[in-house]
Amino acid sequence: MEFSNIEILQLPDISKVTFKRIHKDHLKVLILTILSVFTILFLAVFLLETNVEEIGSFPYVNYIYLVLVLLFFVLLIAFGIGFSRRKYVLRDKDVTYKSGVLIKVVTTVPFSRIQHVEISEAPISRLFKLASLNVFTAGDSSNDLVIKGIKKEEALKIKEFINQQING
Amino acid sequence: MVNDSLFTDFSKQSPKGILVIYAKLLFKAFKATWILLIIFIQRFSKFSEETLVYVYIGIVVFLVFFLIRAYLVYTNFLFKIDDGQFVLKEGILQKKNTSISFDRIQNINFKQNLIQQLINVYEVSIETAGSKDTEIAIKALTYEKAQALKMALSLVKKKTQQLELDVEQPRPLLKIGFKELFKVSLTENHLQNLLVFMALVFGALQQLNDVFIGIGENDVLGNYADVNPKDIFNSIIIFVIFILMLIVIGVLSSFVRILLFHFNLTLFIKDKSLEITQGLLTKKSILLSKGKIQSITISTNPIKKKLGISFVTFKQAVSGKVKKQQNKLIRIIGCKIEQIKIIKELLYVDSSVDDETRYVPNNYYLLRMYFRSAIGIIILNCIILFLIKDTTWLWANMLVIPVTLLLIHLKYQKAFYQFNEEILLIGKGRVETHGTYLSFFKVQNIKIKQTIFQKRRKVVNLVLQTASGKITLPCVEENRAITLYNYILYKVESSKESWM
Repeated sequence: MEFSNIEILQLPDISKVTFKRIHKDHLKVLILTILSVFTILFLAVFLLETNVEEIGSFPYVNYIYLVLVLLFFVLLIAFGIGFSRRKYVLRDKDVTYKSGVLIKVVTTVPFSRIQHVEISEAPISRLFKLASLNVFTAGDSSNDLVIKGIKKEEALKIKEFINQQING
Repeated sequence: MVNDSLFTDFSKQSPKGILVIYAKLLFKAFKATWILLIIFIQRFSKFSEETLVYVYIGIVVFLVFFLIRAYLVYTNFLFKIDDGQFVLKEGILQKKNTSISFDRIQNINFKQNLIQQLINVYEVSIETAGSKDTEIAIKALTYEKAQALKMALSLVKKKTQQLELDVEQPRPLLKIGFKELFKVSLTENHLQNLLVFMALVFGALQQLNDVFIGIGENDVLGNYADVNPKDIFNSIIIFVIFILMLIVIGVLSSFVRILLFHFNLTLFIKDKSLEITQGLLTKKSILLSKGKIQSITISTNPIKKKLGISFVTFKQAVSGKVKKQQNKLIRIIGCKIEQIKIIKELLYVDSSVDDETRYVPNNYYLLRMYFRSAIGIIILNCIILFLIKDTTWLWANMLVIPVTLLLIHLKYQKAFYQFNEEILLIGKGRVETHGTYLSFFKVQNIKIKQTIFQKRRKVVNLVLQTASGKITLPCVEENRAITLYNYILYKVESSKESWM
């Protein structure tokens, strides 16, 4: 593979950058989220079992709990791995985010193509003063870059930095 | 030259616009109630005279109501140009005020549907990049006024280009007559057109059926749907006739489609833009400026290749999450090799990219397609065995498996990518061959995706997001993908050109 004029080796290499992990409190947010979802699920199954006769007399009803418990642990592990894979880095001219458990994704958005930057806070994240940073580019914006689980101050700083880069 | 003051005060559309709006309202009402109308006509004889009088009065009231509504829509639709902004006021009860600054206007297009053609007015639509709510359509303007508006809008935008807009129409680069249109339509993908046609027909039948069942009449269409598959297979003659009929319908639907969309296709090159006019019932004229085209795709198929023709698809920036992407896809058919060369030159597509080294996807791409189709076929067989329980259907495998294999191999053979310093050329297709040319600096963001299976093989998918959608390079070797990734980022970040 050759590009005349440009020495490939001199180009900034994405595979040689040190990435930064997202904030460790985000793991707590993830765990809390799963816990609350599963609490509701368990309650729902329990209430159905005790109040609806057809379900209460259903012979395999205990398996439902087993499946739920299994699912809970699988998700917990998956989110745990997912958390450790979420990393980001800001370079002079672009922002990169990588993540993914089964499918690993690395996304880079050059500052010069950013349309706008948004900071959003989900309810549970707000307890830990965490926010997520959404970066939008032109066109079909569903595939842009979102960094979840960074401290709000840092998100604001990054937003400010990117805005400076866009306008400056 | 245009009198700029023409639009400084609020102006209305041409009075003929009432007719256009009226027709549109009626058409909408008809589309919503056509099934009821059919039932009504069917029962026409059963109504007593007294009821009929009421029905007639109802229809008249209906028509008058829509006429008044159309008139009100017309009188409340006002637009002007004010200090670099296009201002539009509309709405009868709920007033809406829109203003668009000129630099956000992406395109100004002319359009004529059947009625607009008959009464000789033009619909001017103003497309913007950005939010999706700001697509504006002015339904009826005389040709002079439409031209004047277009000029006024582009004048303020680019004061320097005043004179060029006034230049006489040059000779068209491409003009497709009826004969040629016919020839092109014969080489279309008939299977695809057949499917589109069938989908339309089945959709309408389904709707009819629902209604008839709904009003208590027994399944009127049941007789057609209830053909026992065994009868078809047993009687070869019926089968052959069936196939022949499908072929005829396929060819016909291709022809109709081509005729509707591409009738009288003309392509002009004007300074820095392409002007395309085409369409039978709805005549569209589109001005494509060079900078706004995100990528072009040149497609052909085996028959077209023999005849030396191909079609070109231009992709523009899509605004927001619009569903109707077809509007942003502009296609011209029946291009000869020389014409393609001129179009490429105009759009700065450096043809040297065609001679660069060709890279093909890793073998894993082929393996993955085999694997996925195998799963599909197994599921299909399971459905036959356990749900339909009719083993005759298993013979379908005789057809499905070879066709799938053939398609997989064609797809693998046609997938490639090659590039020079500025441009990436991506090839794909099965029966048809598509080559997409993308300038690196038009890339918005870039992704590397790797599944756990791909990781073992050290291959990745490289996804390039542009303002007109994403382009995927499947199963590229990992180190090559990273080099490309770095290089594309370098090109985007060092580029001074605007992507739009």
